[in-house]
Amino acid sequence: MSELRFENVTVRYGRTTAVDEVSLTVPEGAVVGLVGESGSGKSTLARAAVGLAPLTTGRITLGGDPIPARGRPRPLQMVFQDPYSSLDPRMTVGRSVAEAMPPGGSRADRRAEVERLLELVHLNPSCAGAVPSRLSGGQRQRVALARALAARPRVIIADEITSALDVSVQGAVLNLVRELQRELGLAMLFISHDLAVVRYVASQIAVMRHGRLVEQGPTTRVLTEPEHDFTRELLAAVPGRTTRRNRP
Amino acid sequence: MQGRWRRVVRTPLGLTATVLVVAVVALAVLGPMLWGSGAGAVDTDAILARPSARHWAGTDNLGRDILLRVLVASRLSVLLALLATVISVVAGLLLGSAPFVLGRRTGRLVAAGVNTAVAFPGLLLALFFAVVFGVGATGAVLAIGLAGAPAFARLTQTLVAGVAARDYVAAARAMGIGRFRILVRHVLPNIAEPLVVNATIGAGTALLSFAGLSFLGLGVQSPSYDWGRLLYEGIGTIYVNAPAALAPGAAVLLAGLAFNLFGESVAKGLGVPVAGGLRGMGPVRAGSASGPERTGRGEDAGDRSPEVVLDVRDLEVTISGPSGPVRPVRGVSFDVRRGEAVGIVGESGSGKSMTALAVTRLLADQGRVDASRLEFLGNDLLAPDTTARRRTLGTTLAMVFQDPMTAFNPTRRIGAQLAEVATRHQGMSRREAMARAVDRLTAVRIPDADRRARQYPHEFSGGMRQRAMIGMGLMGAPALIVADEPTTALDVTVQQQVLDLLAEIRDADDVALILISHDVTVVGEVCDRILVMYAGRIVEDLPAADLATAARHPYTRALVDAVPDMNTDLAEPLATIPGRPVDPADVPAGCAYADRCPLADARCAAEDPPLAADPFGPGDPSGVADPSGLGDPAGHDPAGSPRHRVACWHAGEPLPARPEDRNIDDLVESP
Repeated sequence: MSELRFENVTVRYGRTTAVDEVSLTVPEGAVVGLVGESGSGKSTLARAAVGLAPLTTGRITLGGDPIPARGRPRPLQMVFQDPYSSLDPRMTVGRSVAEAMPPGGSRADRRAEVERLLELVHLNPSCAGAVPSRLSGGQRQRVALARALAARPRVIIADEITSALDVSVQGAVLNLVRELQRELGLAMLFISHDLAVVRYVASQIAVMRHGRLVEQGPTTRVLTEPEHDFTRELLAAVPGRTTRRNRP
Repeated sequence: MQGRWRRVVRTPLGLTATVLVVAVVALAVLGPMLWGSGAGAVDTDAILARPSARHWAGTDNLGRDILLRVLVASRLSVLLALLATVISVVAGLLLGSAPFVLGRRTGRLVAAGVNTAVAFPGLLLALFFAVVFGVGATGAVLAIGLAGAPAFARLTQTLVAGVAARDYVAAARAMGIGRFRILVRHVLPNIAEPLVVNATIGAGTALLSFAGLSFLGLGVQSPSYDWGRLLYEGIGTIYVNAPAALAPGAAVLLAGLAFNLFGESVAKGLGVPVAGGLRGMGPVRAGSASGPERTGRGEDAGDRSPEVVLDVRDLEVTISGPSGPVRPVRGVSFDVRRGEAVGIVGESGSGKSMTALAVTRLLADQGRVDASRLEFLGNDLLAPDTTARRRTLGTTLAMVFQDPMTAFNPTRRIGAQLAEVATRHQGMSRREAMARAVDRLTAVRIPDADRRARQYPHEFSGGMRQRAMIGMGLMGAPALIVADEPTTALDVTVQQQVLDLLAEIRDADDVALILISHDVTVVGEVCDRILVMYAGRIVEDLPAADLATAARHPYTRALVDAVPDMNTDLAEPLATIPGRPVDPADVPAGCAYADRCPLADARCAAEDPPLAADPFGPGDPSGVADPSGLGDPAGHDPAGSPRHRVACWHAGEPLPARPEDRNIDDLVESP
């Protein structure tokens, strides 16, 4: 059982309530897409899950147990939006990935594991010796994914992981996300502002607005029969709907 | 890294400073060994002698040679200064990084303490500590060291806070790595450079402070001596023997200068290289040089349709890079007609924004713009800047930027900033201009515009600000709006409102629009015609309606396929483009896309295909190849539907079946 549950989670910063009584479940092995506008609290919810934002009330559990806030291993890992900021510029790719691995094991074992992880995200294992500045944005984002996987997490939280990437590499990262989910049975909370992207990777969609969860359900249902006005508004705003409608 | 250090030595100042520092350190090491006995030799025959051939700087009251004593004193002076610096740096590092390690509440206390300590003048602290620790070298070292600590702590604190906000620190915390580990492993290495630089400068300052304390009698006590002590002894006899005071003074000055200059030049060398070389060069007409895209079409001014708002031919932009000039825009030709919406798409680094900036003459200092023609409403934009032209541009050309927060002056009210356009360019009175500003804000559908006009930019939301920016463009009677990623920083719902607003303005006043975006779907929705840019060139110029179905260039097709939309087949992997975009500093000889293109052959690698009317494109109603391959001057066929231009040897050929997306991505070397 490794179901990620947010139960009545509230996060307040001073007087502003960033996340307001959110209850959300990421079932085992499923990808849940979390959409909403900037400032709707999606990133705060993600940061709260990995312990980067303090909970005011409510609790977050993984498989029924509270998420360990100290020590390792951490069963919940996060991949960030900007791959140019999420890798230490002075560390080689291999060291960054190895740092996230559970302690222990011989040097050779650890090196082999780094290579396996890099191959898993379709990077040449020889990349291990490179510093991030030699990699493209898409390659860096894949290193960030490999680093998250290195911690052997049960759930990964992906916060806008494609929005800082060029369209030409965005596809490769999305393909990888789907593949990892299928092959490793990884559960994922996939945060994005792009409904088309979420539709492509997620089986369920949750919609946030002003810190509250306004709608939640299977992707096809939410996209075809949205219940909340705001979801309808979001759907209407997806660009390309006019031209693409004519597409054969 | 090594190259950067080498750069420090390469400048005359850096070289001088390095030589000086090496000399001072060498003197400190060797001085006492070479002249130690000489400096201590008492010569009762020559007490308080004036400078002579034997004693260049004279002697002191025991007949000891002052010059030798100055040379020997360098060891103690430099050593004590360095010790004090080490104390400053260590104490500063501890105090400065404490807020990071201790967490928010305790950290805030430490930070407050440091901020208070910084407010005290360093010398005052040094005197205070000197009294506390007692007179003598130890006391002085501690005093100067601790007095320098607050400044260091503050610097460290700021630098640490900067790095701590980076995502890799958040990632490490999410991994469960302890704060102290994170500090040592991720934070300190990334702030080491500025700290080293400041420590060097700090050493110079410590040296001066030390001389000061010793001179006041609070530092080194006899029989030991440092430069400050010698200065103190020499000053008493300054009217009898000036060199006795001047020699140690000069030593302090030189050593202090050496450390400070070294620190400064290291800072400069490790910092961002200063660009230069191309500044001040005006626009240049491309003349007879044959640009890669010289199509020959529309060369005669007489051919041009009066409908053309903007006419660009063979546009090239050259900027200075770290290793010579770089050309991010390499021969771009297009025109924009009245009321037409032209989209420019491309990946980052494709030159799309550079093109917009060059066309609107906003690239003034950063680069050189060359073109065989660059005309806006019949005005030659390559001609020297005049007041009249600035007025024309100010009222007929509007620019909308990606980040409206930085495009507005944060200290002035929105209304006043809009009104400025009218008072400057249209000669309106203040009152008229303000009324116009409110009217324009209403036109871009800002509710309660009268009150809003009196607000500051930060009181506007992102979408509201972007609308105000568009409103600013509408203060005149624009014939063209250039919008560079106007919706990238906005939410999807707001993005739609801004795009709708642009479309409305276009319809109402027949305003032409250039919309630059990385998002193919946005551009496809808003524009009539799309220019696809790759590596500084237009690779395809096609009607927006053709984008999804009839794109001919393999890059355009890949770009369209790579973006998921609401109809993407969920069973299939998304299309990807292997490799990475071309570095503008290193553009290959042939087609720039050849490396990533599944259709590329030997010819593609050798010859750059020209942007020519697509011989078999659906835009050509005759279906017959244009023998000249050039098309008619305005790029539109007689029927009025825009023609399709493409730069590819294999335009429209079927792409090979998509390879299974399992291939390993190799590291691509970049210079």
